[in-house]
Amino acid sequence: MNTIVTVTDLAKRYRGVTALDGVSFSLTENRIYGLLGRNGAGKTTLMQLLTAQNMATSGDIAVFGEHPYENDRVLARTCFVKESQTYPQSMRVGHALRAARLLHPNWDQRFADSLLEEFQLPPQRMVKKLSRGMLSALGVIIGLASRAPLTFFDEPYLGLDAVARQLFYDHLLADFAEHPRTVILSTHLIDEVSDLIEHVLLIDHGRLLLDQDTDDLRGDVVTVSGPVAAVHEITVGRTELHGNLLGGTARVTVRGRLTEAERVQARALGLTVETVSLQELVVRLTTGAGKTEPTAKEYAL
Amino acid sequence: MNRVLPAARLQLVTWRSMVGWPWGMLAASFAVNVFFYGSMGDLGRTTVTGGLICIYAVVLVALVQSVTQWFPFALGLGVTRRAFYLSHLLLLAAQALLYAVVLYLLGVVEAATDGWGVKLRFFGIPALFLDNPVLQLLGYAVPFLLLGMLGTAVGVVFKRWGTSGLLVLGLVGILVGGALATLITWQGWWNATGSWFAAQGTTALILGWPALLALLLAVAVYPVIRRATP
Repeated sequence: MNTIVTVTDLAKRYRGVTALDGVSFSLTENRIYGLLGRNGAGKTTLMQLLTAQNMATSGDIAVFGEHPYENDRVLARTCFVKESQTYPQSMRVGHALRAARLLHPNWDQRFADSLLEEFQLPPQRMVKKLSRGMLSALGVIIGLASRAPLTFFDEPYLGLDAVARQLFYDHLLADFAEHPRTVILSTHLIDEVSDLIEHVLLIDHGRLLLDQDTDDLRGDVVTVSGPVAAVHEITVGRTELHGNLLGGTARVTVRGRLTEAERVQARALGLTVETVSLQELVVRLTTGAGKTEPTAKEYAL
Repeated sequence: MNRVLPAARLQLVTWRSMVGWPWGMLAASFAVNVFFYGSMGDLGRTTVTGGLICIYAVVLVALVQSVTQWFPFALGLGVTRRAFYLSHLLLLAAQALLYAVVLYLLGVVEAATDGWGVKLRFFGIPALFLDNPVLQLLGYAVPFLLLGMLGTAVGVVFKRWGTSGLLVLGLVGILVGGALATLITWQGWWNATGSWFAAQGTTALILGWPALLALLLAVAVYPVIRRATP
C-alpha cells in the first residue's frame, strides 16, 4: 500500500483565527476516506491546502511525494469538487464538462454522458440557471468522470435529493471498484456514507480528533442503559461522553470497547449494551458535553 | 507537464461569447455611425468618429472578468496560477493580433469604398500618425495589449485583496498622480514635460511607451497572482 498524501504538523491561521493546528496524518492509495467534522471545523481549509488552492501558515504537505503548490504534476492527478465552486457566467453544463475534460487526463466522456442522463442534467442549460441540487450534480459528475487518482468531494450533496445522493454513492462505489483511486469525502450525512468510507478523519476546531479505520471504530463507543448502579459498575473508569438519567434508569455513552467478560457481566446485570453508530460517535466526540476535547492520542489510549 | 495550452483552450470553451461581445458591440456602433452620417447627406468632407473605442472598452472589461471568473474555475480544475496566467497572456496576445488584423483589413475596405459610401472614417487610422502597414497593424494591437493588461491587473488585485485592494489601488493612484502633478507644477517642469512628450515622436508615443507599459504590467502582476486564492 503506497502512501499518497503525507501531512506534517500543518497549521493555517487567518487574521486571528486558527483554522487548522498541528494536523498530521497520511493517506494510503486507493481507499475511500471520510473527512468528518462540524461546520467550521477546518475540513474545507484542509482540502484547499492539499490542492494548493490556499497556502499553509506552517507545516509540510506531500501529495504524490511533492508539494502541490504550483505543481502541474501533482494537480493534474487531483480533482477537487467543492460545494462553493463558481463557474464563469457564460458557461453551459456542456461547456463545464468539456473544460473538465481538457484538464483531467483520465477523463471518461462516456461515463460523463451516462451520468448526465442519470442525474437528468440538460447539457444546454446555463450553469448560472441551475438549481442548487443540479449544481451539486454537475460537481459530482466532474468528480466521478475525471477518475483522478486523488479525488476530493467537499460536501458534494448540497441540495441533492435522496435518490440523487444514492445514485452518487452507488456510482462512486461501483466506479471505485473498477478504477481504484483515493477518495476524500467530506460530509455531514455520516450515516449515509458510513458503509462507504473505509477510514475516518475527524476534525474539530482545527485539530485532528480521530484518524482510524471505520471497522476499528465500530464498537469503540457504546451506550449502556439499565439500573443506575449497574450502569455505573460497568462504565466506571471509562470516559463518559454523554449520559442521562430517567427515574432509576441511566443511559450512558462511554468510550472504550467492552471486553467479552464485561458484556457477559452486563447481560447478567440486566443491562442493554448498544454499539453507537458512526454518526452518533462523531456527535458525541465533537460535543463532549462540556468536557475538554479529547485528542486523537488520548482516544487511542 | 505543460498545462498552459490546455488552460488556454479552457477559456476557448466559451469562445462565442469571448468573440461575440466585443465584435457585436463594435458592429452595433458601426451600424449607428453609418446610418447617422448617412442620414446627414454629403457633408463634403470625411467624418472621423471614435466609435472604434467601444471594442477596446469591451476587451478591457472582458479581461477583468476573465480573471475574476476563470481564475477560480481554472484553479478548481487543478490549473496552477502560473499556467493560468501564461494562458491568459497568450489569449490576450492572440486576441490583440487577430483583432488588429481584422480591424486593419476593415480599414483597407473603408478606404477603398470611400468611407462606406458615406465618407465615414470608422476603422482607419489617419496616415498622419502611422503611415506604414506594419505600424498601423501594431497601432490596432498595442492598445488591446495595454487595456487588456490594465483589466488583468484590476482583476488580479481584486482576486488577491478583494474590494479593499481595488480601493487602495485607486487611493494610491490618486496620491501618486496628485504628487506628480504637484511636483511638476512646483518645480515649473510643465514645459519640459511637454517638450519631452513632443520629442518622443508619434511612433514611440503611440506604440513604444504603451507597449512597454503593458510589458511592465505583465511582469508586475505575476507575483501578485502567484499568491492569489480562488
